[in-house]
Amino acid sequence: MPETMTLRGKAGIYAGAALLRLLLFVAFPSLPDLLTSRVEISTPVTSFKRLQEGLFLYNHNVSPYDGGVFHQAPLLLPLFSLLPDVRALPIFTALLYILVDILSAEALMRIAASGEAVQSRLFTSPRRIRQASSLVVVACYLFNPLSIASCLGRTTSVFTNCATLWAVAKAIDGSPFNAMVALSFASYLSMYPLLLLPPTILLAYDHQLLKGRTQAAPTFAVKNVAIVLVVLGMLLGMSWALDSQSWEFLGRTYGIQLTLNDLNPNVGLWWYFFIEMFDSFRSFFLAVFWLHLSSYVGGLSIRIRTQPLVVIVLLLGIFSIFKPYPSIADTSLFLGTLPLYRHVFPLMRYSFVAAAVLAYATFLGPAFFHLWIYAGSGNANFFYAITLVWSLGQSLLVSDLTFATLRDEWEVERPEMVGKEVKQI
Amino acid sequence: MSRLLATALSLRRDPRVQKLPPYLSFLCVLVGLVWLLLLPLDDYARKTYISENALLPGQVHTYFSGSESHVLRAYRSELDVLASEEDPTRVNDKIEEILKGLGVKVGRQSYTYNAAGRAHSGENVYGILQAPRGDATEAIVLVAAIRSLNGQVNRNGVALALTLARYFKRWSLWSKDIIMVFPPDSETGTQAWVDAYHDAHDPRYVAPLPLKSGALQGALALDYPEVDRFSALQIIYDGVNGQLPNLDLVNSVGNIASGQMGITGFIQGMRHHKGTYKHRLTTIFRGMVKQSLGNSWGPHSSFMPYHVDAVTLQPYGKGFHDEMAMGRVIEGSFRSLNNLLEHLHQSFFFYLLMQRDRFVSIGTYLPSVMLLAANFSIMAIYLWVQSGQVDADAQKKAGKQPKASATEIAAVTVERSLVLPVAIVAVCHALSAVPLYVLNNTTAQLLPTAFAALAAMSTAAPFVLSYAVLPVYKPTQQQILLMKSLSLLLLGMALSTLATLNFSLAFVIGVLTAPLSFVGLSRNEPLRWASATLLTLLAPATVIYSVVAGVGLDMGHLLEQASFGWTVWGMYTPIVVWTIWWPAWTISMVSVLC
Repeated sequence: MPETMTLRGKAGIYAGAALLRLLLFVAFPSLPDLLTSRVEISTPVTSFKRLQEGLFLYNHNVSPYDGGVFHQAPLLLPLFSLLPDVRALPIFTALLYILVDILSAEALMRIAASGEAVQSRLFTSPRRIRQASSLVVVACYLFNPLSIASCLGRTTSVFTNCATLWAVAKAIDGSPFNAMVALSFASYLSMYPLLLLPPTILLAYDHQLLKGRTQAAPTFAVKNVAIVLVVLGMLLGMSWALDSQSWEFLGRTYGIQLTLNDLNPNVGLWWYFFIEMFDSFRSFFLAVFWLHLSSYVGGLSIRIRTQPLVVIVLLLGIFSIFKPYPSIADTSLFLGTLPLYRHVFPLMRYSFVAAAVLAYATFLGPAFFHLWIYAGSGNANFFYAITLVWSLGQSLLVSDLTFATLRDEWEVERPEMVGKEVKQI
Repeated sequence: MSRLLATALSLRRDPRVQKLPPYLSFLCVLVGLVWLLLLPLDDYARKTYISENALLPGQVHTYFSGSESHVLRAYRSELDVLASEEDPTRVNDKIEEILKGLGVKVGRQSYTYNAAGRAHSGENVYGILQAPRGDATEAIVLVAAIRSLNGQVNRNGVALALTLARYFKRWSLWSKDIIMVFPPDSETGTQAWVDAYHDAHDPRYVAPLPLKSGALQGALALDYPEVDRFSALQIIYDGVNGQLPNLDLVNSVGNIASGQMGITGFIQGMRHHKGTYKHRLTTIFRGMVKQSLGNSWGPHSSFMPYHVDAVTLQPYGKGFHDEMAMGRVIEGSFRSLNNLLEHLHQSFFFYLLMQRDRFVSIGTYLPSVMLLAANFSIMAIYLWVQSGQVDADAQKKAGKQPKASATEIAAVTVERSLVLPVAIVAVCHALSAVPLYVLNNTTAQLLPTAFAALAAMSTAAPFVLSYAVLPVYKPTQQQILLMKSLSLLLLGMALSTLATLNFSLAFVIGVLTAPLSFVGLSRNEPLRWASATLLTLLAPATVIYSVVAGVGLDMGHLLEQASFGWTVWGMYTPIVVWTIWWPAWTISMVSVLC
């Protein structure tokens, strides 16, 4: 009985989310284009407008990177050139994006239903009865205004998000090969998901053991890394063939992310910093920023070894703050996975403050951007200040979730401290 | 340090501290209001000054005089003959003929706006004087509407603009193109022209411009229907949606008028400003009312959304200054604008003027409205914390003896059920689309009736919600608190955002909604009904009705203006009223009634 209820609820949520998106696409035809041109949604490496530019060049047998505005993975081009022209028949593109969102939701549903968030191989949360229902998790993701906005804005991060979620879902499912393939796709599209490799391998390894397939950890890791390398190699090889057998695309896609050549404003922390910087320090700080971003992977994977899924969630949060080109699509992925940890929400201390800060930033961000760009009465500092607030809100959430999970673990070791006030030093 | 932290943490649990927020919030409102009243004092207001060095207002000798006055009279008499005629194209033909005769390129543009079931159509005619020293990348604009602000024919304005065109044409020193625009009226014409100039027009209603020049650097509008000599010059500077031109422009024009020509400049209709506290406060208030209404206050207003600084100049009263003096003011101002090396950006874009040469800048006045907005956020946090606490009475009723001390009760938080409160808040905000749609899609004749119906429905809505709809879902006390908390949080957020765009509107809405924070805090029966009455008096519809009655406006006219403003100027005041103020009010009312 509950099984059918869940099924019906699931179908209802998917249908509702798809209809809502379709309605917005159809009833407000100018809305997608408006959202596409917002810097909060479209970054140089995910913008749909730039994809159109690349597509135009590609369809006219010119290297898509010659225009200097297209910085996305080449394999997206054949996919989009299969669709009818977006200006004549936008509905097909809309349907593709809606489908991808529903697929992401399906992956999230499986992650939530597995109960990995409350009970991993090495740790069982004492609060597991308070686990969030998978329907709630999926509804929170699909009806999150940020997810809807990034779907309508047709950013290509949606594909990365989908691939990332499937990688996690497959790892939990006990099929590491599929997980690694999905992760390779995500990394191929946006590069940064490669940093999720260690926790994903740990997650997959735990579930291998749970399935009763014993295997030595190092062999398992090596095998999976090899799978990722092979798949990535194949994808890059196909791109090489596609981009008139030149490796130019590497510099134009991943190179842009590594060297931050396109300084368009976005919601992240990099652009302003690198605009202000003297050129002689540029390479040093690029290294520092990237090192900082990747340094979380090792630390978190080791410290929270018992719960690889929470490491992935935290990393997604960290990426959406410290990535070179973050957008609200990244935040929506983090916020989508956050309800998996509903059982530790009571342990979080700043949830209201963080939510209020994020909400304030969503209101003030567009207003300040308007003052800067359109009204001309503000300047870049207005918008930058708000992106700082936005990042502050997200880092509050990330650090608070870390605190809550650590406290949850700690209370298993120290049952006498349950409900007592503690200080984080 | 750790001792200090521990003290702070234990203080957080102190019941006395937890009672504090309503008082703190009330203090915020009080300080916010008093803050505004302090602004006119000498300690807070500053004298205006010119920031942009390139402007050099009043530093050039102006030569517009002598025989030009004969030309002006000639143009005026030619226009007088035509202005009495019914067909407006005759005037435009004449203007085109004159401009072409001067060797100026002329363009014409027709447009039709449909607002509140009425069509507003007209035709703009404009000429571009190409700069002898420029490359058509920058331009300055002189607007002379055929119908001035009060509906009279802009006799001197149009004639003076034509004379100036003839006069400017002979000078070789212009480094920016000069565009002379002659819209048929002061409300729609410039809007259509500026929209089309920036290719932001709706091609179904507004024709594109056949002729264009470079980026607009500034604009002056002339509103000069009286032919008699005048005594003073009013500078009108409020733009659509409360946007203001760069203070440097207002100052330059004022400096040139008073410093060079000896014409007294004044603002906001305060002709006899004595510089007293009362006069300053009145000026600020008048400015804030205009800003908060957000409609266009002259032909210059439409330029502001495109980041083109503009003012309207309006000669006033009987005195000894003639139209040649007015011409020299414009000549001087154009010479200053001509000097600009980059767009006006040095001086303030956010200011409150309290007399022609005194202002307060944003840093000084913004805290007042931010305090008002903060009051809502504080109350939202307070209600959130309250909603998480176990009700001590409820515990007693349940037979559980509160065995621990008061501090430990406070530490226990219960789980919050958020679905219903979020749903109510979302539904209330979604409902605000109804009045917006109705009021912007009704013909002018039906508007007062439609508004009356909406007012009745909006008064009934909270009662229906709290007595018919909500009991179905059996909301707990906690959910009511959460609903109010979320609504206040949204209100605070919306107001602080609005304050950065339109300070005055945010302030007015903030003051009118301030009581929402404090009603419904007590479950005392008479107090509840008193607050319900107070809220009914402060309902958006009631406030609008009483303001209309108090000022002596016509309701139909006001509503038509609102609908017209939204369609033509993109004025967002009605949106703020219905999507921010009205839902907040409704939810407060529901929380009082439940």
